Amino acid sequence: MTLPIALDAMGGDFAPQEIIKGARRAVDELGLQVTLVGVPERMGDPLGLEVVACSEVIEMDDEPGSSVRKKKDSSLVRAAELVRDGKASAFVSAGNTGATMASALLRMGRLPGVLRPCIATPIPNVGRPPCTMVDAGANAECSPEMLVQFAKLAAAFASARFAIPAPTVGLLSIGEESTKGTPLVKETHELLSADAGVNFFGNVEGRDLIPSPVDVIVTDGFTGNVALKTLELQFVFTTVLAAIDTNDETRAAGHALAPYLMPTVTTLTPEYQGGAMLLGLNGICVISHGASNDTAIMNALRVAAEMDAAGVVEKMRTAIRPDQG
Amino acid sequence: MTSDVGSTSSLDRAAILALVSDQLAQILEVTPTDIDEDIPFDVMGADSLALIELVEALEESLATQVQGFHIDDEDLEGLSSVRDAVDYVVAKLQLA
Repeated sequence: MTLPIALDAMGGDFAPQEIIKGARRAVDELGLQVTLVGVPERMGDPLGLEVVACSEVIEMDDEPGSSVRKKKDSSLVRAAELVRDGKASAFVSAGNTGATMASALLRMGRLPGVLRPCIATPIPNVGRPPCTMVDAGANAECSPEMLVQFAKLAAAFASARFAIPAPTVGLLSIGEESTKGTPLVKETHELLSADAGVNFFGNVEGRDLIPSPVDVIVTDGFTGNVALKTLELQFVFTTVLAAIDTNDETRAAGHALAPYLMPTVTTLTPEYQGGAMLLGLNGICVISHGASNDTAIMNALRVAAEMDAAGVVEKMRTAIRPDQG
Repeated sequence: MTSDVGSTSSLDRAAILALVSDQLAQILEVTPTDIDEDIPFDVMGADSLALIELVEALEESLATQVQGFHIDDEDLEGLSSVRDAVDYVVAKLQLA
């Protein structure tokens, strides 16, 4: 029996209307099963979807850890509990990122041996599957051991999700040589080089993010988040669009290029990406963008379903504790 | 979490120290003997989420012995080491 995906109906800038619309589309267009978790009197029309009722909402500006403890009947906490209790295959939220992570961690728990969960974000690539960047912001301060685990978790994710047999792992630094980088980077390089469980490529630089020569890029959450935001490429898009709109000749060129550019541009949008994945937990959790519209929510649900179908959690479990796989 | 805290009468400081050390060790993926009572949590690598994990684990373990045992979130800021946490729990249990 396929379990539904638990969707936090109350989280996000455009909740609950866009969230519920996205869920309805996921059911109608993708054939997924979705359970909404929300406060009925604040939800409006659930569009015929199943609702698990709760009485509280963790707001965007609530403090993550304490809000999860204080608001035990919130949509976020209840959604995570549905996964913990085996009533949902995954949970998705566009709400408070920190509280989503805290809910998932405290209710679903970590996989055995995992030091800290991390956030993975697939970055579109050219001519090959997306490159998974980890950590995209969960842990601002990391130890070398944490980065090695992140590399293994992300490799397991990339292998399951994108059917890459032995994903190559690059360590984000300021030079290709092993002597380059901070003490954290240099020590991590040493550990990754010596770890037979990692297909280590070596250091990669910022220019290797798109296109990437590796399948996984590992870095600390602070650097990863800065890099990810930089990659949103708003400036480049704006500049290119302005150049195309210069005169009739450039506009004609833009029309000719559009069919070739749009597929790539589309994959770079938050709506298409759907969200970031929390890795290292005993369950699937997708954190969608706070400004998610119905399309972004539908794609986040698609991503969650694909992760479940690919057995990502079990592959991560084996990656961290291969002797118990 | 697997710690056995024994009966209510056995909840002396040593038992609470063992419980806190055991729970924190599980969270940090180290052995209980690696836990030093006086090393600040942040130096041991326990961030705010790890401390919330610890609090929830302690509440779960102690609730079986002391009904309604609860650690106030407002008190967490004053707990910076295992020693602080143990002293806090001991004091709470004496009041319970």
